Amino acid sequence: MIEGILQGLYTATTPINLLMVFVGCFAGTFIGMLPGLGPISAIALMIPITYGFDPSTGMILMAGVYYGAIFGGSTSAILINAPGVAGTVATAFDGYPLAKQGHAGKALALAAYSSFAGGTIAAIFLLVAAPALASVSLSFQSADYFALMVMGLTAVSAFAGKGNFLKAILMTVLGLMLSTIGTDQSAGIQRFTFGQIDLIDGISFLLLAMATFALSEALMGVLRPDAVNVEADKATKGELGSMKLTKEEVKFVAPVVARSSVLGFFIGVLPGAGATIASFLAYGMERNLASAKEKLKFGKGSLRGLAAPETANNAACSGSFVPLLTLGIPGSGTTAVMLGALISYGVQPGPRLFVEQPAVFWSVIISMYVGNVILLVLNLPLIPYIARLLALPKQILIPLILFFSLIGVYLVSFNTYDIYMMVFVAAIVLAIRLIDFPLAPMLLGFILGGMLEDNLRRALAISDGEASFLWERPITAVILGITCVLLISPLWTIIKDRRAKNFADGEG
Amino acid sequence: MTITKDKAGAFAFLVLALAYGLNIGDIPMLPGDEDEPFNAKTMPTFLAWLMGSVSFIMLVTRSRNESGSDPVVGAFTGLEWGKTSQLLGLMVFYGMTITFLGFIPSTILFIFGGLWILEERSLKVLLLSSIPLTVIFWYILSQLLGIYLTHGELFFMLGGTQ
Repeated sequence: MIEGILQGLYTATTPINLLMVFVGCFAGTFIGMLPGLGPISAIALMIPITYGFDPSTGMILMAGVYYGAIFGGSTSAILINAPGVAGTVATAFDGYPLAKQGHAGKALALAAYSSFAGGTIAAIFLLVAAPALASVSLSFQSADYFALMVMGLTAVSAFAGKGNFLKAILMTVLGLMLSTIGTDQSAGIQRFTFGQIDLIDGISFLLLAMATFALSEALMGVLRPDAVNVEADKATKGELGSMKLTKEEVKFVAPVVARSSVLGFFIGVLPGAGATIASFLAYGMERNLASAKEKLKFGKGSLRGLAAPETANNAACSGSFVPLLTLGIPGSGTTAVMLGALISYGVQPGPRLFVEQPAVFWSVIISMYVGNVILLVLNLPLIPYIARLLALPKQILIPLILFFSLIGVYLVSFNTYDIYMMVFVAAIVLAIRLIDFPLAPMLLGFILGGMLEDNLRRALAISDGEASFLWERPITAVILGITCVLLISPLWTIIKDRRAKNFADGEG
Repeated sequence: MTITKDKAGAFAFLVLALAYGLNIGDIPMLPGDEDEPFNAKTMPTFLAWLMGSVSFIMLVTRSRNESGSDPVVGAFTGLEWGKTSQLLGLMVFYGMTITFLGFIPSTILFIFGGLWILEERSLKVLLLSSIPLTVIFWYILSQLLGIYLTHGELFFMLGGTQ
């Protein structure tokens, strides 16, 4: 392990990789700050650029973009109450009131310190947890992988929120269906290509990611114009105030940061949970732990209420790398995009990655520390200047986002069919967004579809076509047991709610 | 009767499941594959049934999501459909012109057109946002990174060479 860490340290600290962490953090901060554009879009926009790099450099750039985008999202949440990403919605609860009270500088600094602490503490956990899990998962067989993927896809739906369970399942299945388009990998048979040569290789994941997130986000900005720009203009032209925190304030938030880091990391490891759930849980936990007097400050500019979600969302980002690097199973939409990128570099994430590509495995982990330091040391002083970009007129920004999305996909295939396909997918996605169906499960389903089918085929071949592979191995049985619990939990909530409602009606 | 967003979505997915399921019949099979426990049709068949069943359950049960209970018509009205469809059309136009006009002219036209659709009327902004950006991007890609960007059929028709 020490050898691996040293190798990762060496790779991560080469001049080109250090430059990439910096570029990634900077570009991520900028993109994440733009309302509507989150880490998925930011990473998707970077993928075409990374095709010329070696896998470690590409992953380091994307990890930097991921952290930067979360940090950038917090900036727009604090300054203009427009979280760039769902994971920073809870940041706006207390960050925006602080900014309105004239403490925008302090709120931004606290967000940066909390993100740094959360990211760094979680990266230490990652350093220990990832190799341990990778060693265990070396003994995994096709049946276990199949069960794990089913669990991951179920978890995404189970954590989708009240009333969204069935919608998330439908979107996951849609993603799985899209993954069946093209040539069947084992038999070489064409499926759902409708005689189109351009569909023989299937739909590219980059095309789907760009059309689903970057293109549709930009088009939604046109479809639903809002008043964000006016607010942005006001916020970025005003003074941010002091960025210094007093000793008492640091002492006050230190335990909050410690608790939220641990919580954030473990929530991040769970497939499907991610930064959004982690930030809300951390916010809720701190509010519950606060004294009655402190509780009243929540939602009105509480430092504790700002530090908790900010720490947790960054810690969850690190946590989400555990299943990606060790099992090859992404836990969130963002890591799903990264998985797709890794596969396109010719790297297969999973337990073997730790053994076969230690440079990629360790350099990504080490680059997280570097990324956190860069975010704190370089981005924080630049925030007042970067924040001015928030006021960039939408009519200039949107055509540029559309151009970068289209050209990003076109430059990979040099096939104009991909441009038409993107337009088609973006139009469908717009309709899906308008009826409030979640998009991340679709991308997750699409990326895992091929692997799921492959592992199921192999598991069935090994067990002579018998379904007994589902319970023969204890690991498979345990994972599928957890999957059943995940499936039942939303139903249990429905029954509980209905009972409570009936009871209340009876009382009334 | 008001059709909610959830019901409309569930209905669309049910139709998709049926269409997808019907197309499974067109998947060719290798000789003897039909007796295998897993063939090219297995996964699609399972997915079609799963989507069909879940969308049917969603259609017949009450929505538990507040926003999902909103009428579907409301979700599609009062929006800037004109500009959005013009942008979608502009993207198709970009796809059609990139190989004919070449990267630089088609990109300048695309960005210029996008700005125009979004009601930017200042000629200075229109030109400064489209031309320098396109040329800088072209320079980085083709001259620094060595990525080939097409000159366009028109360039060669007018006698240009590589």
